[in-house]
Amino acid sequence: MRFIWPYLFAAAVMIYLSYSLPKMLPGDFVTAMYASSHVTLNAEQEAGLRASYTNQEGFRRYLIRLFTLDWGHSYAFHSPISDLILSALPWTLLLVGGAHVISMVMGFIAGVEAAWRRGGGMEKTSVGCMTVLEGVPEIATGVGLLLVFAMTLGWFPASGAVTAYARFTAAERLLDVAHHLTLPFCTLIAAYLPGNFLLTRGSMVMLLKEQFVQTARAKGLPPMRIRYAHAARNALLPMVTRFGLRFAFMVTGALVVETIYAYPGLGTLLFNAISMRDLPLIQSIVLVSSLMVLFVNLILEWTYGRIDSRVSHGI
Amino acid sequence: MESSRGIPSLHHSIVPRVSKDPWLLAGAVLALVLAMAVLIGPYLTPYDPNDMAFQPLSPPSAAHWLGVNDGGMDILSELLYGLRNTVGFGLLTGIVALGLGVAAGLAAAWFGGPVDHITMRFADILLAVPAVMILILMAAFFRLSPVALALLLALLYWPTTAKGIRAQALVVKSRLHIYAARQMGGSGVYIIRHHLLPELFPLYLIGFATKARMAMFMEASLSFLGLFDPSRKSLGMMISYALKYYYLDVWWNWLLPPILCLTLLIMAVTLLVVSLEKVFNPRLKEA
Repeated sequence: MRFIWPYLFAAAVMIYLSYSLPKMLPGDFVTAMYASSHVTLNAEQEAGLRASYTNQEGFRRYLIRLFTLDWGHSYAFHSPISDLILSALPWTLLLVGGAHVISMVMGFIAGVEAAWRRGGGMEKTSVGCMTVLEGVPEIATGVGLLLVFAMTLGWFPASGAVTAYARFTAAERLLDVAHHLTLPFCTLIAAYLPGNFLLTRGSMVMLLKEQFVQTARAKGLPPMRIRYAHAARNALLPMVTRFGLRFAFMVTGALVVETIYAYPGLGTLLFNAISMRDLPLIQSIVLVSSLMVLFVNLILEWTYGRIDSRVSHGI
Repeated sequence: MESSRGIPSLHHSIVPRVSKDPWLLAGAVLALVLAMAVLIGPYLTPYDPNDMAFQPLSPPSAAHWLGVNDGGMDILSELLYGLRNTVGFGLLTGIVALGLGVAAGLAAAWFGGPVDHITMRFADILLAVPAVMILILMAAFFRLSPVALALLLALLYWPTTAKGIRAQALVVKSRLHIYAARQMGGSGVYIIRHHLLPELFPLYLIGFATKARMAMFMEASLSFLGLFDPSRKSLGMMISYALKYYYLDVWWNWLLPPILCLTLLIMAVTLLVVSLEKVFNPRLKEA
């Protein structure tokens, strides 16, 4: 259980920052912020906003509001913040979560197979391609795919997650969602896959030289069993460790990719909130996504602890 | 078993191995070209990047090699200044994070005990905090300057380096020549300065390049999201503005150059990181 407390502590830090930062804003920031914003407030809204930022409610009251989804009102979108976030969240989970799972599985299997065929032409080519791909940022892949497949070829839609106002059967709707998902999904896979591949291959190359792999070979076990049951499970740990370390990268990339394709997830919502200077909304999105990042990391480490007994014994 | 392996020494194994690596060569050449563009960029273009005096959206010409954007600014000047800002942000974060990481890692390894414990637990917490979220929050609420944001990012990002340095410093610390230096009465400061600090040198390169790469990527993304002062040129911001007009014919002279620049930049640093990591112990990353 050693690994849980940094996450709990980090979650507490994020919640406290989100509670205390607005109170530290200097001067009459409501006027200052909204003077340069696209949102015009009437007197009542301005008073409400000022009240919500200057009130001296205690931390406990804030926590209660946080957990009852009472996060305030967005004047830029004219709706409660919790509604905005909860309607954007599923799209982000679908896009980012799906891309993570698929790129991890693909990267892991490809990495294991590449390490097994070390020195072959196939392995050299794939390592070269992946190294180059690792150097291409999401912004570039995203815009590139957008220009080629959405604008020039017109195969995929350039924005949105569903066709608006269309009457679809359930199957057609599913296809429509997949159709909109393809380009952002491929962008994220292109961003996540190389790291997973290179790391798995790197650790597998080391593992295949270890004595227990020699033993497994000497016993005459089938190659698939040696690769996965004996060697590859030890390559999981670096991947999980790295996943946590790279998360900041990934979140940033997902924000950008959603914005490029105007995918209606949290990233696009954040982009719009920033461009309209809608502070309460920015603050809530940041808090919700931070807590989610922490939660995913925690789950991942916990799951890994169950798989590999070395972790839970702290060796 | 792994702990007996050290870092290869600079002259005996690194230089010969590195000079044969095509990836490193490619990365170094790219980095050199970009460094030239960063250093002499402002002298290459006669225009001020914020000068809005030109015909908006005019195509490339002899006077404006990459044309003019929607606000009447010369795109080439924007590009060169943007590249400078992105690279500057990355280097600043890289240097500060490396300094903090090396200091914390060496202190933790050398003093051990409570110092080690507190530093590493603190590092664990920082590793869990999603740094980009704090950056977005601070940039949106307090409109921090890019320098302040770079420093903040460095403050959040030293732990990965610190952990790597600590692990390797512990290995070096248990070697014979350190014992000898101690026997002869060398002080902690002397041993850290004359033995640990120089012997861990290769790790600094990797740590610095990794951090700088992440920071450049972060700068481009944050400016893409519109979190920086709009009068400060940046590759991310240029992409964001140009993307609004992607359906026009201007994408190849306005949208493509900053994307290409950013890709080459990230690619150069990535190639350097990958080839450096290949030379040193591949297991260092996990520590």
